[in-house]
Amino acid sequence: MRHRMAVAVLALCGVLVSTYLLLYKLGVIGSMACGAANECERVQASRYSTFLGFPVAAYGVGGYLVLLGIALYGLSERRIAEPGPTRWLTALSALGVVFSLYLLALELFVIHAICRWCSVSGVLILAICAVSAGGLLRASRAPAP
Amino acid sequence: MAEAGRSLKPFYVLLGAIAVVGAVLIAAFGGGPSAPQLVAPDCQRPRPNAPPPKGVTIGPDSAKIEVTEFSDFECPWCARFAILTMPDIRQRLLPTGLVKWRYMNFPLDGHANSPVAHLAAACALEQGKFWEMHDALYMGQNDWAEERNPMRRFLGYAAHIGLNADSFRVCMTTKRPWPQIESDKCEGVRLGVGGTPTFFVNGHQLADIPVYDDLKKIVDSITAATAAAPARPAAGRKR
Repeated sequence: MRHRMAVAVLALCGVLVSTYLLLYKLGVIGSMACGAANECERVQASRYSTFLGFPVAAYGVGGYLVLLGIALYGLSERRIAEPGPTRWLTALSALGVVFSLYLLALELFVIHAICRWCSVSGVLILAICAVSAGGLLRASRAPAP
Repeated sequence: MAEAGRSLKPFYVLLGAIAVVGAVLIAAFGGGPSAPQLVAPDCQRPRPNAPPPKGVTIGPDSAKIEVTEFSDFECPWCARFAILTMPDIRQRLLPTGLVKWRYMNFPLDGHANSPVAHLAAACALEQGKFWEMHDALYMGQNDWAEERNPMRRFLGYAAHIGLNADSFRVCMTTKRPWPQIESDKCEGVRLGVGGTPTFFVNGHQLADIPVYDDLKKIVDSITAATAAAPARPAAGRKR
């Protein structure tokens, strides 16, 4: 149960960070708190800040909302003992980690700028994946009821 | 199963608190620098300390033909000219060395974001990248023209064309080049410019917005006339 609570908290943080990036991308907020180098704005102004026609941050908001929803669903009394939600959390967050690594590679080798908030999102999805995988491991080792 | 029986109420309260704090932080950090407030120049009043109008030039000083363009970054016709005609001029006309091009700032009244756009281009000029910002502003005109706060876009363009972000921000905040923009605009008013884009070739106003072939013909005719009468000075040159 604890790992699903941890995932819910991390996913909520991910929703907030992604929303911040998305609001910037949509022009709702003026600029990002990103240090003097202004690298977040450089990354957000690049053509890699959209993927398949949508802002990358929108995928982040959607992805974290799905993870948050699964974690909360898995915390409901009827689902708490089921391994299914944790499996979904592990699989989806692993996809998120792969996508984050792809974005990190673009920042390092193509755009040559590091967006701090994107990195925070990367750390969050990695943590969600690690916590979910840990929960899955513990469940597989636990004796059957 | 003791864990499962434990109340989740405190946990949901914690989630709610995180959501509220996060929303407050986004609102607090999301404002960012707003566009500087710029007042349109009153060209009827004397401006004793104003810099002389000079615009931004491209092409050799020794060129016998000078084309002056009065333009507004928020004007759609100016964007059309900048996107469709200017690349040809840069690639085919300016390398001949016969023409010097002068871009004069002429932010039109009623174009709310135009003064800030001209300031952004002038701040890019301080770092030697006026024409890169010129292109970015015209190419992205539809994106920023109606925006409540175009600064975000302009900061993005500045980053994209490789400007030093801090210097650009300082320039925008202090509005350092604004007097130059005012002088350019007032020069246009003095010359009777009523709309944009307006073009002058060696001081003679063109009746219409030229395409590349029009300008080429004008340049060819002036070059031929100059060759036929080399001793006669160019007429009507203003700057």
